[in-house]
Amino acid sequence: MNCGQVKRLLPPFIDEELQGGVRDEIDSHLASCPTCRSEKEELEADMGLLEQVGTPEVSPFLVTRVMADIRERRSANADLRSRTFGVRRLAFGVSLARLVGGVAAALVVAVSIGAGVLFGSGFAQASVPSAENSTEEAVSYVESSAADLYALMVGGD
Amino acid sequence: MSDRGVQVSDDADLVRKAQAGDLAAFEDLVRRHQRGLFSYLYRMCRNTSDAEEMAQAAMVKAWEKLGSFRGAASFKTWLYRIGTNLCLNLRTRRRPTEELSEALTAPDSDRPEVAFQQRKREEAVRRALGCLPDDQRAALVLSVYNDMSYKEIAETLGKTVRAVDSLLFRAKTNVRAALAEDRAKGVI
Repeated sequence: MNCGQVKRLLPPFIDEELQGGVRDEIDSHLASCPTCRSEKEELEADMGLLEQVGTPEVSPFLVTRVMADIRERRSANADLRSRTFGVRRLAFGVSLARLVGGVAAALVVAVSIGAGVLFGSGFAQASVPSAENSTEEAVSYVESSAADLYALMVGGD
Repeated sequence: MSDRGVQVSDDADLVRKAQAGDLAAFEDLVRRHQRGLFSYLYRMCRNTSDAEEMAQAAMVKAWEKLGSFRGAASFKTWLYRIGTNLCLNLRTRRRPTEELSEALTAPDSDRPEVAFQQRKREEAVRRALGCLPDDQRAALVLSVYNDMSYKEIAETLGKTVRAVDSLLFRAKTNVRAALAEDRAKGVI
């Protein structure tokens, strides 16, 4: 290993990130090369200078603030979930009411039509022409019955 | 098992409890990581109030996203990654705030000259770190001040270990050049 290679590997060497074989090679190079040894010492001294610079103390209230923020969001989310559930229940109720109303209306219409067919419009109760009636009367009867049937189908008078 | 290993294992246990809705377990995680996260964000944001704001935002976001945390990385690197993203977003929205010259070491009234020299060294280091691109500074801060391994830094920054090695080499070279310049000027 030459000086250039060793210089490139000094940071991970100092940080103890290199594995056995490479580490041993650098160790043996440093033992015999004063230039690289001096380079290593300077690098360590500069990194040591960095380490001397402290950090301001973290606020003693940071944890309290974080947890208060989380509790507030948690309660706001629970409230939102509860409101969303209420709105969903209301929407479901409205849909159910519409469905029931629709079915009821359809039943009323069906019963009305059935009743009309059976008992209404004089169709079933109309006088049937007797055998002695004339042909004109028979034609008139058929025409009026057809008109009644048509009126019943289209809902007219 | 190393201390680092024990902490990761404890974190995993607390994370499982927190995922089940145990707020006290999450509070333990916050207590455990608040100082390291704040320290990292302080050096990234270069401002105490921004660093606290980002640390708080990162922890709250971690709680909100805890359900999606699968444990592929450690909770610590996941949390720091959230903090990194928030910090970088803040920096793109705003111009970097010039750090106040906070005296981090207690002034030594008996030896004002020593305190003065220390202050000058701190300022030189801050300037040198401040000149680095964001990714180099993040890698260097996590390595020097947060004692993270290259693998942990890679998880935090979403890079490969090889990329982290390269980032750290360039970061250290740049910092050393800046410090050498200050030495030549007699600043430190």
